[in-house]
Amino acid sequence: MPTKMTKENWIALFRDVGLTDAQMKKWHHLFETRHPEGHQSFLEWLGLPAEKCDLIRKESR
Amino acid sequence: MLATMNTCTITKLARAFGLSRSTLLYYDRIGLLPPSGRTAAGYRCYTQRDRQRLERICHFRQAGLTLADIRTLLSSSGKPNAKLLERRFRELGGQLLELRSQQRLLASMLKGVAAGKCPPAVDRVMWVKMLRAAGMDDRAMGRWHTEFERRAPDAHQEFLVSLGIPESEIQRIRKSSAEGAW
Repeated sequence: MPTKMTKENWIALFRDVGLTDAQMKKWHHLFETRHPEGHQSFLEWLGLPAEKCDLIRKESR
Repeated sequence: MLATMNTCTITKLARAFGLSRSTLLYYDRIGLLPPSGRTAAGYRCYTQRDRQRLERICHFRQAGLTLADIRTLLSSSGKPNAKLLERRFRELGGQLLELRSQQRLLASMLKGVAAGKCPPAVDRVMWVKMLRAAGMDDRAMGRWHTEFERRAPDAHQEFLVSLGIPESEIQRIRKSSAEGAW
């Protein structure tokens, strides 16, 4: 088991509890609009490179 | 009689054990280590037996026993009071657990500092609101914690710490997660 949380792991976690792709998209959107800085640091915490963070945040708006 | 035996003064005895004179005065006052005798001038006279008793007291102190417990232990002549020792043993176990969780908390703080990045700047209420708005109900949140704990226990801890949740509450959440008891 990886001790570090990754993007893949996080998505699998959400899928496991029954969140659909649309709901995950909605969640990113909420995160980006309500807490943009929190969204950024969360994506960094998942170990994503800067460009990938930018991309996800842009798509979430 | 006492003067002919191998006796010593309070200052000498204290020095021999690296204790202060006032400690020995206190031990005398509470009846833990009363000197076996006095000189004609009224000074405390400690015998070889007193010295051996003090040795045992120091030994028990090193094990973290209270002075009251030590007095009980030393007065139950003969075999040692196992119950007292067992209680202290259990107390230490509890303290070790507490220390370990403090250490884990510090480790995750240090990791954050070393990586030069802050954990998510979002607190627990914000998270719950967002997850709920995205369609996750309480049941699903419980399962989410359980899966998080199963897949990446360390990251789960780190995540909960980052939300500013107190350690005792984190332990409760992780325990429920591990047991799937929601």
